[in-house]
Amino acid sequence: MQTKGPIKRILLYVDGSEECIAAAQFGIALARSIGAEIRAIYVVNVTLLKELIKARIFVKIEQMDYEQDLEQDGERYLNYVAKLGRAKGIEIKTELIKGVVNKEVVQKIDEWDVDLLIMGELDPILSRTNTYHDEAELVIRKAKCSVLIVKNAEKVEQIYNAIEVT
Amino acid sequence: MRLSDLLSEETIVVSLSHKDKQGVIEELLNLAMKTGKVQDRAVALKAVLDREQLMSTGLERGVAVPHAKTKSAMDLAMALGISKEGLDFQSADGKPSHLFFFLLAPETAAGPNVKVLAQIARLTSDPSFCKSLREAASPKEALEIIKDAE
Repeated sequence: MQTKGPIKRILLYVDGSEECIAAAQFGIALARSIGAEIRAIYVVNVTLLKELIKARIFVKIEQMDYEQDLEQDGERYLNYVAKLGRAKGIEIKTELIKGVVNKEVVQKIDEWDVDLLIMGELDPILSRTNTYHDEAELVIRKAKCSVLIVKNAEKVEQIYNAIEVT
Repeated sequence: MRLSDLLSEETIVVSLSHKDKQGVIEELLNLAMKTGKVQDRAVALKAVLDREQLMSTGLERGVAVPHAKTKSAMDLAMALGISKEGLDFQSADGKPSHLFFFLLAPETAAGPNVKVLAQIARLTSDPSFCKSLREAASPKEALEIIKDAE
């Protein structure tokens, strides 16, 4: 797609939540309106798995098993997001990465010179300690571009459904 | 999802009646069944016992986290058991276990499952939280302690 406006590259942060699907729908609508390119990434949170090994809640084989599960989850979500894009004539390049979520997202923003990061509504604060560990919050704090938090899934779905494909 | 959202007064017992590992796991499973999220008790029990076979989930500081993913769970199902006197759960430090966070997860919920387990790890890393929870006189009080810590 020919980029039309000043916002050329949108990065969509897919985290395997329902909220990230709304973010994808909004991102697709926006990309279509302004003619921006859009990419989506999912990061397998290996830090969390390591944390569980360290706490001895997980054993190694379990860590590997869950890592595979998270990878499959990520692929499933990315495929779905790409499908949502195709349905509206938007090609979304997807990438599954393993690592520290906030670092990987920030790195992709730099690498791809992203103008806008789009993500779903944050989880409620789980606990005082979890605020520090909440990857979505860390992404917002560390991203060196503007961040759009998508809310109201119902309304977003209406926006997405209203996109006319010519 | 908060631990206090997954637990209720119905799924917490502040004085476990069983004193052995298998008995405690079964008692906790019975509590988790009350959530209505576990379809097949035998399948769920086997999943937890199979996980314990790999290595005991008895950690340090009197905490144990028996858990498993199982096709028998339709959603995350949690229970909490407390033993004032403590019992042998083959813990990592060889000391008696007092707090038992029991978690069953569907096979397709790796993300939320991992997040809840990490939350348990973080909360129980605070000795004062563990001490307060051990001393809880009722499920209601235990739930309040968890809510306060969250």
